Amino acid sequence: MEASDHTGDFIPAALAAYGIEADEIELAVIQAAHQTLWPPILELLDLDTAAVPLERDPDLSQAPPSR
Amino acid sequence: MSDGLDLSLRQQAAAIAAGELDPAALLEATLARIEERNPALNAVVETFPERSREMLAAAPRGPLHGVPIVIKDEWPLPWRAQRFGAAEMLAPAAPGESGPYRALRDAGAVIVGVGNMHELGASSTGNISVYGPAHNPWKLDRCPGGSSSGPAASVAARLVAGAVGADGVGSIRYPAAYCGLTGLKPTFGRSAMAGHHMAEVSTTIVSGALCADAADCRALDSALFGEELAVGEPRGLRIGVIRGEVSEDVAPDVREACEAAIEDLRRESGGEVREIELPELAAATLATVLIANSESLGGITPERLNRLDPELSPLGRGLLKYRVLVPAIATIKAGRLRTLARQTLARVFEEVDVLACPTAPAVAPSLEAPVVELPSGHLTADEANVRAGALANLTGIPAISVPVGSSEGLPVGLQLQAAWGRDELLLDAAEAIERANGRRWVEAVPPALGAEPLEA
Repeated sequence: MEASDHTGDFIPAALAAYGIEADEIELAVIQAAHQTLWPPILELLDLDTAAVPLERDPDLSQAPPSR
Repeated sequence: MSDGLDLSLRQQAAAIAAGELDPAALLEATLARIEERNPALNAVVETFPERSREMLAAAPRGPLHGVPIVIKDEWPLPWRAQRFGAAEMLAPAAPGESGPYRALRDAGAVIVGVGNMHELGASSTGNISVYGPAHNPWKLDRCPGGSSSGPAASVAARLVAGAVGADGVGSIRYPAAYCGLTGLKPTFGRSAMAGHHMAEVSTTIVSGALCADAADCRALDSALFGEELAVGEPRGLRIGVIRGEVSEDVAPDVREACEAAIEDLRRESGGEVREIELPELAAATLATVLIANSESLGGITPERLNRLDPELSPLGRGLLKYRVLVPAIATIKAGRLRTLARQTLARVFEEVDVLACPTAPAVAPSLEAPVVELPSGHLTADEANVRAGALANLTGIPAISVPVGSSEGLPVGLQLQAAWGRDELLLDAAEAIERANGRRWVEAVPPALGAEPLEA
């Protein structure tokens, strides 16, 4: 199934599922954020990252260990 | 000698050490200057003269003895809890000895005030804060940059010669670029971090210095690192220019100034310039935002979101609520992208010594509507800025913003990034750029302070 932008339904439904209330202005902010972030998030979800080994507790002060 | 207010940080320290400048007089003059200049800037949100005097009275004869410093509202002090620029924080805050406080105290510095910051550290602009926005000293109706807005505006307006910020997604480098300063985002874990309300969970935030030039940053960061950051001479520097929108979807004047500075660095170091492809960059940018946002959610419950302080901005409240809706699988994949980006950078830094690109693709936008015009069209400043700022926080590498030009009378910053632990190289490279352009941009001061307007 192809992903689509269901902002109008998704946001109020998701907020309701969590029991999170939002006034009109907050809702507008949330929808704007969703419109910006959701397309790249969908692209991210499409990436197959299974072959990328997870660096457990990476030491971010150093380069990753060479493989 | 004069009151010392307009000396550089290292000149203040040297003059005090030589007995040529009275640190008590410098402290009083600094407090007076804050009182005089700050009302138009809102850069400093609190001073505590008695505490500062007590700090000076007890100050050891360290390398920063008697030097006044502003510290961002992100770090607790023994007499004051941080507010994180917000009416409500997501984690408990209390007065205490943060790592940067101890580092400054042990170096003999004197904390004279708390710097404003963007609400919850959540933007590159600095236009929203519980204290009201800080203003850019170059043009008061422009953003000072965020989230370390107050520290940057304080140094640019010469309230102090040095300030301590924090950088979780570019929050030292954007304000450095917007205000014409040098700002170093250290290698993750190398600078003082204890006492930060997210110290136990954040994998992106570091403390760092904002100063007029690289030598002052080196002095202040040496205190924050707890070690002397040695001076070197970059020779035969291999400079990688990141191809793609981060270097190309940039306002023409900004692009021109940055390209000229890269050429200056190449010539000054006798090095070479190579083009570098980082195809993972766009996804890595999103990954940084997802990881940084998720790390602050530990104390969040739906019930708490339903009773957020009404003084939090509507933007802040809405964005907090949206963070909860991001699917966990996206954050898990963001972690994999972090691994990928770190592996890619490890290979890239075998080929080049530094990566260069504009710190921000356009100069400081208006406080009222922080939108920038780029070749691709209009973008919010945050959407545009995060492209260059995120990678260093995602991967842990150090990055620096160096003033290299101007457009519309506002400063332009060039970002240099290097491999893990090579913070000193970035300071050396910044000094090489300063030498090449005759220190033109690090010595420029805002017109409000009596200087001529900046010209490209």
